[in-house]
Amino acid sequence: MENILLREKVADLQSYFACGGYRALKKALALKPAEVIEEVKKSGLRGRGGAGFPAGLKWSFIPKDAPGPRYLVCNADEGEPGTFKDRELMLKNPHALIEGMAIAAYAIGAETGYIYIRGEFTAECALLEREIASARAKGFIGRNILGSGINFELHLHRGAGAYICGEETALLESLEGFKGQPRLKPPFPAVKGLFASPTVINNVETLAAVPAILEKGGEWYAAIGTGKSTGTKLFSVSGPVNKPGVYELPLGVTFRDLLEKNCGGMREGTRLKAVIPGGSSTPVLTAEEAWAVKLDYESLATAGSMLGSGGVIVIEEGRCMVKLLQVLARFYHHESCGQCTPCREGCGWIEKLLNRLEAGRGTKKDIDTLVSVAEGMLGRTICPLADAMAMPVISFVKKFRSEFEAHAAGNYCPPDAPVKR
Amino acid sequence: MAFKLSAEFKAKADKLCAKYPRRDAALIPLLHEVQKEQGFVAEEAMDELAALLGLPYARVKAVVTFYTMFNRAPVGKYHLQVCRNISCHMAGAPGLLNRLRDKLGIAEGETTKDGLFTLSAVECLGACGAAPVMQVNEEYFEKLDEAKLDALLEDLKHGRLPGRAR
Amino acid sequence: MPKITIDARTIDVPKGTSVLEAAQLLGVYIPRYCYHPRLSVSGNCRMCLVEVEKAPKLLTACSTEAAEGMVVRTDSEKVKAARRDVLEFLLINHPLDCPICDQAGECGLQDYYMDYSRAKSRFPAEDKVLRQKRRALGPHLVLDNERCILCTRCVRFCSEVTKTSELEVMERGDHSFIDLKEGKALDNGYTLNIADLCPVGAWTSRDFRFKQRVWFLKKAPAVCLGCATGCLMEAHYNDNTIYRLVPRPNAETNTWLCDRGRMTYKAAAAGDRLSKGVIKNGLIDLEPALREAATRIDEAKDAAAVLGSPWLSVEDNAALALLAGGMKTENYCFDFKFETGIADGILVNKDPSPNAAGAARVKAASGGLNFEEFLARLSGGKIKLVLTEARAAGLLKDALKASGARLIVFANNRGEIPAGAYATLPYASYFETPGTFINYQGLERRTEPVVQAPEGVKPLWQVVNKLSAYSGASLRLDSAEDALKGLDKK
Repeated sequence: MENILLREKVADLQSYFACGGYRALKKALALKPAEVIEEVKKSGLRGRGGAGFPAGLKWSFIPKDAPGPRYLVCNADEGEPGTFKDRELMLKNPHALIEGMAIAAYAIGAETGYIYIRGEFTAECALLEREIASARAKGFIGRNILGSGINFELHLHRGAGAYICGEETALLESLEGFKGQPRLKPPFPAVKGLFASPTVINNVETLAAVPAILEKGGEWYAAIGTGKSTGTKLFSVSGPVNKPGVYELPLGVTFRDLLEKNCGGMREGTRLKAVIPGGSSTPVLTAEEAWAVKLDYESLATAGSMLGSGGVIVIEEGRCMVKLLQVLARFYHHESCGQCTPCREGCGWIEKLLNRLEAGRGTKKDIDTLVSVAEGMLGRTICPLADAMAMPVISFVKKFRSEFEAHAAGNYCPPDAPVKR
Repeated sequence: MAFKLSAEFKAKADKLCAKYPRRDAALIPLLHEVQKEQGFVAEEAMDELAALLGLPYARVKAVVTFYTMFNRAPVGKYHLQVCRNISCHMAGAPGLLNRLRDKLGIAEGETTKDGLFTLSAVECLGACGAAPVMQVNEEYFEKLDEAKLDALLEDLKHGRLPGRAR
Repeated sequence: MPKITIDARTIDVPKGTSVLEAAQLLGVYIPRYCYHPRLSVSGNCRMCLVEVEKAPKLLTACSTEAAEGMVVRTDSEKVKAARRDVLEFLLINHPLDCPICDQAGECGLQDYYMDYSRAKSRFPAEDKVLRQKRRALGPHLVLDNERCILCTRCVRFCSEVTKTSELEVMERGDHSFIDLKEGKALDNGYTLNIADLCPVGAWTSRDFRFKQRVWFLKKAPAVCLGCATGCLMEAHYNDNTIYRLVPRPNAETNTWLCDRGRMTYKAAAAGDRLSKGVIKNGLIDLEPALREAATRIDEAKDAAAVLGSPWLSVEDNAALALLAGGMKTENYCFDFKFETGIADGILVNKDPSPNAAGAARVKAASGGLNFEEFLARLSGGKIKLVLTEARAAGLLKDALKASGARLIVFANNRGEIPAGAYATLPYASYFETPGTFINYQGLERRTEPVVQAPEGVKPLWQVVNKLSAYSGASLRLDSAEDALKGLDKK
């Protein structure tokens, strides 16, 4: 099927418009906001950032009669290891995002929107800045959009290096000029979000899907995918495959198809060992599990993992799982905001245990401690970062225990063997 | 050391602040601006920004120290930031880091004596499909290997790429 | 009024009540570090996790609002496990310096460890994150970042109560720490509350450090006489020595105490504490000092004057009023008009004296001059001798100097004696003798003796009683209350 999001030659306003861009916005403005929300509900579109919450439902939580401003925020703080789809999407099809935001803003009654983009994405920032300006010049955003009397001002806001800001309430804190520490919920952002006003936060990919849904109808979108997991999804594939990159495929595609048909299979001389299917926080699958799995919300949940951000990390035979988990632990330890006790203390503890095990100084007891520390973090913090550390730990040890035990027995791998290319 | 924000900076700040219903929301963008001008965020700049936005100093300091992109001391003309997260790790980031350490004679967090290079290991840069990746100042260099890294270092040494403010 | 069930007991609570508060109403204690009733809820320590029916995860009791029909368990295995784990996480990077920590004995970590954990450490000591050990931050506090559990009570106190926002958590993750601007002192007038607020030994009082183990301390209710706010406080003492003053939180007046108020105990044990009389600059035993003072009072006849004091208790002012009656002088005054009200938005009162309202009660019973009239008579040369309390004498400073009238004062400490005082008589401080004070809200508050006065030093009413005996108009007071009775008769 034809790509909805990752399209070629639509990177500037003129070409986007020539391909039918901003027709959906016009169509949306002719509808009532509630009808726009209804259409998105019908599409079954779910949040593409990781949590998979139905987008239309999220929009409908904005109180109908709340006085004062409402805000629309785009989460472009792409930072989940193994995920690089939003970056590519913003570079290739920035106006799908801008148009999607204009429609969403109209639906929820927001006159101001912000794109919170990773601080490191300088090129993407410059491009978006430019394209926002051209959209404003053409009257697609700004005051009195397309003569409708509707206003929508869109601003770009750069982050400054903190994975935690991908969590929506940490992002709001950061956007308000504070440290990015997640907020207690309730109140949820729909009630009290940015600047204490009702706010919707959606991922880049979610918002960019909105124009197509409005244009072709929610039912059309819902027909793509598995029925429950609707539409297309961007999969970021990294690791030793022949063609790593971002692929747009209908939800429910098999991992096998993604790997073999799209990514050109495993690189020569490598064999699949394991897959982290949805970004580094999601539980790892063994090769056997991966070959059998379909990539959609439900199938991956059944397989004991998650679709997450769709960041598919492919791991080859011969790769030391203890080392890889150590790399992830170092990351979560580095990124824990430090607010909640279990995460602040647990991430560091896990990294230290893994450092010991990886260096062959650990014991079998350390493996049990590792799992019990992870379990002690699970579900006990304000935001899911602790879970994002705990889930890989628990799944790595469960599925590759023998490697951990070999390390504990002193049979550890040599440090970082050179990479075969 | 007397440090004052320039009139131009203040004018720019007013524009940035206007994007938000509360001026202090512009703190992070303004810190980026300071870093762009100075190469790092000095204590005096934190004082000045706090005064400009009517914020307690501690809030500014807390923000600067929370986010990894803000340099609190001058860095080299080229800030080499090697991603070491999982995909880059599998694609050979540890080897790249080792090579940089050897060639430059510095460890992570250090700057070469000539002030040309600062080396950092960073977490996922969001370019895993093109691993291994290194960010030099604000630019990404992707699909690196040792030969490409050596060539890039030569280019940088000979000033064939723009350096940062310092 | 939502009805909530906690550990099988049901209670109706006002809307907006948290599960933690509802549990408290039922007498169910939920452990907590970051929660404080007077600070915003931050929910970071995770110690108060409880099980709520139908919630997939444990919820923090501090941040969960009680809802109609909510069923909560605070004693399930799941909850106990969570508490054990959180406590373990808090302790892994905590130093093992309890033997030299002032918080020992009133430490949240020690207490909860005994209640909920008692587990052996499985974290190697060499893995502990090291942070900055003790350093003085400001005139009153020492900060030990290694002991800190990052509950942020201190940060919230400075941003929400004093609104000075000096403190913040710097950096992030397990290497984050509390700090303020380098080289700045933490000195906002209320800093010692931080030592109280801190649930562990991270913030300690420089004044109290290493003075006394807390388990040796006895506690007695006290009232702060630092200003007209009249904060309730508690004196912690041992072996006839006060070691610290802490607030006795109450709905009417204070949750906190100001730093100045906290230090008011120091005068009672200060090196310049008077235990004898002073004539001009010479120390002299009390009896001859009293005789001399009585002689001078008699000599001045109806040109002698008595000025009460808003720094003295109602009883002692009453005794002075009775003395004025005995002296048969019309020159007496219990009228002090200070502007009252909270000056700094927190606790410090515009009126620096603790008992202007108490003096007014004495004036209502015994009459006397307005302060302006008193001052006019003094300036006009009609008053030749003034008997008063040392700080009240300060109100007359210029007029005394101008008129050359003789001044006899009551004082606790040598440092209080006004320049040019003729005679000074010592008296017991209100840490040593009971007294009634009426604060700016009209609330009557009683101080109770905590320690004994230095040998030979008597309550002021007793000194007045003796003075009256020497001057031949004996009042025959047997107790402080007698003075009040005498006043009623008048």
